[in-house]
Amino acid sequence: MADAIQKKLKAELEKYSQLQKDVSKSMSSRQKLETQLTENNIVKEELDLLDSSNTIYKLIGPVLVKQDLDEAKATVGKRLEYITGELQRYETLLKDMEKKSEQHREVLTSLQQDFQKAQGLAKGK
Amino acid sequence: MAEESKVNIGRLREEHQKVVKDCESRIQHWKKVSADYEALNERLETLPNQLSYDIMVPFGPLAFMPGKLVHTNEVTVLLGDNWFSKCSAKQAQKIVTHRMNHVRKELDDLSKTMKNFEARVGFAQNLETLSASRGDYVDIREEVRNNDFAVTKGKQRTAHKPNSKPKIDAVFDLKEDDEENDEEAGDSGTRKGILTEEELWARLDELEKLEELQDEQDRQSYHADMIGEDSSTSSSEEEKEADAAPPVNGLSLKPSWSSAPHSKQPLTERKEDEEEEKEGHCLPTIFFSHTVEPKKVRINTGKNTTLKFSERKEQKEHSKKKKKNGHSNGHSHHEVLKITTPADIYRLFVDVKNGEPIPRKSILKSRSRENSVCSDTSESSAADFDERRVIGHSFSHDETHSDTSDGITEEDSPTAIPLLMPSRFEAFSGTVIEKDPMPSAVPHLTIVPPALPTILERRQEEVAPDVAPPQQASKRVSKFKAARLQQK
Repeated sequence: MADAIQKKLKAELEKYSQLQKDVSKSMSSRQKLETQLTENNIVKEELDLLDSSNTIYKLIGPVLVKQDLDEAKATVGKRLEYITGELQRYETLLKDMEKKSEQHREVLTSLQQDFQKAQGLAKGK
Repeated sequence: MAEESKVNIGRLREEHQKVVKDCESRIQHWKKVSADYEALNERLETLPNQLSYDIMVPFGPLAFMPGKLVHTNEVTVLLGDNWFSKCSAKQAQKIVTHRMNHVRKELDDLSKTMKNFEARVGFAQNLETLSASRGDYVDIREEVRNNDFAVTKGKQRTAHKPNSKPKIDAVFDLKEDDEENDEEAGDSGTRKGILTEEELWARLDELEKLEELQDEQDRQSYHADMIGEDSSTSSSEEEKEADAAPPVNGLSLKPSWSSAPHSKQPLTERKEDEEEEKEGHCLPTIFFSHTVEPKKVRINTGKNTTLKFSERKEQKEHSKKKKKNGHSNGHSHHEVLKITTPADIYRLFVDVKNGEPIPRKSILKSRSRENSVCSDTSESSAADFDERRVIGHSFSHDETHSDTSDGITEEDSPTAIPLLMPSRFEAFSGTVIEKDPMPSAVPHLTIVPPALPTILERRQEEVAPDVAPPQQASKRVSKFKAARLQQK
């Protein structure tokens, strides 16, 4: 009886740790997205500072490709929107994961209690 | 328990410090960036001055090659995110200044957070030191003395006996906890060997005080929660300071005016231990007690009680004084008796006739509006009030085993009300002290009071005046009635 509970406990623990890892992963990717967001904001503002006299290049791999100012502005704007969308997606994902981990935590605690009780019983016997 | 909290506080402090360090490192980083941009700015200023420069061009990591720097005005600027733009030096400068703004903003934010967390670290540290040992803060506590007044007036009646048991349990629970706490805290304190009867009495007194303190603290925490998080920064700091009280220091610092120092000391120690138990802090405590009764004005406050007007004021002052302890001002007086269930109402609003508590038929009707003359208090009435406070206290003990805040009344009461009565085994020791010596003999006058003042006053005073409804003997006359009588 105690052993079965122990096995269950271990399984739950693994699941929980897995969940935690996922949570941390999504957290880090979210942070990356945030830095990208700030960077793209700065690029947008600096592009606004420039006028069409300056040629704009985009680094694609090892190549600097000429771009048009307006095109560049449009591209950066689109990228910004994309990033914000991704950010929101990650937010919801994170929330879900949090909820799931909470549930798992509860299950874990209850299992732990059962296990302790079972252990107590076993010892008593 | 105290150690746990100490550990927790320590960890909190460490976490705060981590954040502070992190902020520091980030600030360093941004400062470096800022310096870099400054240098860049300078370079951009001077670069277009010449058409070309002779320089040593780095060739790999180890070699240099003489060369020329041409097109000095053309700068390819990395805008971020793999975007480049060819700009003149001036335009590049504009971009640089724009970036500098951003960096400065980041720097400001970081320094703000750092300051914030440094403050938090300071608080946590203070907390730690206070919990570990004495700090520079002194708690001022006033004890309410019951001794002189308990026996003089009126008949002492017993009531509310059903609640006696919980009190005893609570008392003994406290005792156990205190013993634990004693060991934990490591203070010498008083050893709770129940050897002699005298010690027993002293012990009981201490436990009573402890109960009140617990209630106080419960109320504190309750109010702290109510007030919100910000209370943690300042008021909780004060609370924590105020709540801690190492017995030794407390004893040495206590200018107690009480005549029974030996009983008080263990009491205060108990208090402190109790508080330690509660919050795990120690504070030097000054124990202060009023011995002079202020002049009071008696007002009919409904429900057969008269409250001394100035007493209320003093209570407010006291609660202000105790605000250091995080007590909320308005509640100190009102929550003398906490009514949590409807049964409480009927238990509290009880007429005492012939020594027996008789539940009132209607709790809305005040029993004796009769004697509600606003007048300066005489010695007797002052004593009366003290008795009533006693009752309040005893009532409070009814509640204290489960509820909070009742002890406040005692502590807030400005008069040196003898708090400790040796007969305190029961929740309500039964010291319902009548104002007049012959309350039972005289039938209660059934004068219907003018409704408005009664209700108003009742609302104002909540339960506190209800503490001593049974006391108001029949001799009270409402001021209106008195006026009428006078006219006649």
